[in-house]
Amino acid sequence: MTDPSFPHFDTMTPADFEKYLPDFFANGDGHVSTDPRLQNFLKNNPDCAALVRDLEAIADQARSLFEPTEPSEAVWDGIRNKLKLQGPEEDDLPIPQTV
Amino acid sequence: MDLQGLQMTQNTPTPGVYKRNPPIAGEAEAIEAAKNGDAEAFSRLYALHKRRVYTLCLRMLGNVSEAEDMTQEAFLHLFRKIGSFRGESAFSTWLHRLTVNLVLMHLRKKGLNLVSLEETINPSEDDAPKRDFGGRDLQLTGSVDRVALERAVASLPPGYRMVFVLHDVEGFEHNEIATMLECSTGNSKSQLHKARLKLRELLRQPEQSDQPASLKEVAV
Repeated sequence: MTDPSFPHFDTMTPADFEKYLPDFFANGDGHVSTDPRLQNFLKNNPDCAALVRDLEAIADQARSLFEPTEPSEAVWDGIRNKLKLQGPEEDDLPIPQTV
Repeated sequence: MDLQGLQMTQNTPTPGVYKRNPPIAGEAEAIEAAKNGDAEAFSRLYALHKRRVYTLCLRMLGNVSEAEDMTQEAFLHLFRKIGSFRGESAFSTWLHRLTVNLVLMHLRKKGLNLVSLEETINPSEDDAPKRDFGGRDLQLTGSVDRVALERAVASLPPGYRMVFVLHDVEGFEHNEIATMLECSTGNSKSQLHKARLKLRELLRQPEQSDQPASLKEVAV
């Protein structure tokens, strides 16, 4: 986080913080709360610290959302039917019969 | 960070999802067989990848019916184009990219075709998160309920949902998202931030007790 366009970390206002927060998140490992340069500011601005904790919690939990979900059997049926309708002339490919 | 992202892009052919997609046993054989027209190999590839493709569609679209349609389209496209897969990246990454591109094309056809996506991924003011820090919220601090988050993600405006899913769920970098969505890296960062703010706002709202049970059970 060495971007010279960032404000001074110890003197920035909550409005500055809000403005630069997307960059703070993007420029680190995604955890603003552990950035040593922001510790004083967050300590002195508990609402900002709470916001950061909430957004970090959301981002962390998001990773668990990628749990595979099974599509219905109609999807495979649709694929087979469409391949049948289109015929091999378009793709020159056979039609899978089973999953 | 931008430099790091650039280096990742240059040094690794397929950043983002590649790190999540190690080779699957038997997949290489199925791919080669499918290229040669083996029908059972297609079935095998579908069985191996249907969940991931469908889940990706579901996350991006937030709608079961559309997600199933796009899953179907993705595999139809795969079956037609598998001969062009040269193995330069993991097959699952290639298929993932193919699916993302198809979903984005689908969204553009639905109404994002008249103006640039950069403009249209910005939702209306009503949908935008409130620009305030809010008070400290003990409900959210420390943990977020997964089901509640899934429900909140499903209710995000499409532009917010797309960037959130691509970055926070799928692991794409902002520069990759910017390329995919044809917007600036700054716009991707901004949209992600707004999406998280909107999710925070949604998660802080008390659950409505009169919500239909069926809606509660749908985890998107």
